[in-house]
Amino acid sequence: MLGPMDRPGWWPRFSSPLRSTAVTARIGRLLGIGFGICFVTGMLSHYQYGPWSWLPEPANPVWAYRVTQGLHVATGVALIPLLLVKLWSVYPNLFRWPALRSFKHAVERLSVFVLVSSALVQLTTGFLNTLNWYPWPWSFPSTHRYLGYVLIGSVLVHVGVKLPDIRYGLQARLSEADVLTEVPWSENPQAHSNAGVVAPPRMPALDRRGLLLSVAAGIGVVVVTTVGQTLTPLSRLGLLATRQASKGPQGVPVNKTAESARVVDLAQDPAWLLEVMGPAPFSLSLAELESMEKAERRFPITCVEGWSVGADWRGVPLIDVVRRAGGDAGSAVTVTSLQPDGPYNHSTLTGPQVEAALLATHLNGERLNLDHGYPLRLIAPNRAGVLNTKWLTRVEVT
Amino acid sequence: MRLYRIALAVAGGMLIALGAFRLVTELDRPDLVTLGLWLLVAVALHDGVIAPLTVGVGVTLTRVPPRARRYVQGALVAGALITVVAIPLIDRKGTQPAVKAILLRDYAGNLALLLGLTAGVAVVLYVARVLRDRRSSTG
Repeated sequence: MLGPMDRPGWWPRFSSPLRSTAVTARIGRLLGIGFGICFVTGMLSHYQYGPWSWLPEPANPVWAYRVTQGLHVATGVALIPLLLVKLWSVYPNLFRWPALRSFKHAVERLSVFVLVSSALVQLTTGFLNTLNWYPWPWSFPSTHRYLGYVLIGSVLVHVGVKLPDIRYGLQARLSEADVLTEVPWSENPQAHSNAGVVAPPRMPALDRRGLLLSVAAGIGVVVVTTVGQTLTPLSRLGLLATRQASKGPQGVPVNKTAESARVVDLAQDPAWLLEVMGPAPFSLSLAELESMEKAERRFPITCVEGWSVGADWRGVPLIDVVRRAGGDAGSAVTVTSLQPDGPYNHSTLTGPQVEAALLATHLNGERLNLDHGYPLRLIAPNRAGVLNTKWLTRVEVT
Repeated sequence: MRLYRIALAVAGGMLIALGAFRLVTELDRPDLVTLGLWLLVAVALHDGVIAPLTVGVGVTLTRVPPRARRYVQGALVAGALITVVAIPLIDRKGTQPAVKAILLRDYAGNLALLLGLTAGVAVVLYVARVLRDRRSSTG
């Protein structure tokens, strides 16, 4: 049978002593944890868009979504460099000789292809989405989720396949572990497992510890300079951060403008009325809304793209309007925008958010800017930004 | 261990099947083809361009004397990882309406600053190393 020692002379040979299963396993462990965080926080975010009636989204803590979605994006960004380092560390495995030795080997390589391709595409498209860049034809949210299933599944399969290597890699000392080359350790006469005690590889320049420190420094800089869009105290260090909340109108960035929602004229119509439907339907003009008892609440607004900012909102508590229409805290409430189309021109609240939400007219002490939803918008705690519907025209209580 | 491995493979296989099934049944045919191309091109770009380039840089660096090479390697690793994230930002700067408060920074200048800092730290560490070596050889 053909073995790695029969590989032709022109076949690539890898000798860098920096590569080792001990390095790969340490990076891989972090990568696996990171993908786990992204998967769990991603599913939590998905749940925002359609909670089961018996398990509504909580209203407390008000910053829950801010934390989980901020973590989702920050982790995903940090995983981009980490994935590249991980792939560098196992690059020689691409050059196994013979390339396919059995059916089992072919299946293993295919599973690695699925893992690497889904990881690269998932992290790239996720990052580009936070830059509002969509150079692809498919719908981002659903494809990101389905690819997320494929990716986390591939990670589990990979951990299962590599479990013995992972165990060796994590137990071996960083400076002493076998060099990872295109020859698998099981067939390498110089590997520990075949040759017994062998001298540690010589690392005249950067050693493995230095490599991990350099990687940590690079990723540390990426995290510190990007996470300011979620962690407000770090916003001054946000040299590579995408959003700058303070530069948004009234101190809050806007994603959907009045113009792109095609509501510029409708929202400024003096005859604007809020139509409230339910057992006891009624309607309110802006002046009537203004005369109702107001509440002031501090809720963060969090975008699915990971940025968030705390803000002071003033308006009529949603529950007051719901009660007047014949509903109560147990009602499901659907609010609808003047925006004529699009999947987010309405949203439904259930459970604790019905009582916590405001129909806001003011933001940070000023009347809502047109792009922030003038004359009236929904704002609820622990709720994805896009579900805080703007330019309201109708409230339905069921 | 065998039981863990089987459990992981089965659970993972089911999740892959779920994701693949939903992609295949819910994406339009042309979108699915494009997604397939993205997956193929991503791997080809990494394995065929990025990784060989990295190997090439590593081979070139072996000409630098080991004592200095260590710091050049470290700075290049950290710098490359920062650059990867910064490139799309530089490319997209200023493409969005002002009210979105997005992509407003001077990312190219900021990247240059961060790379300068990285190089500076490497130089300081190298000089400290040279001084330490000199002291230990004379003392």
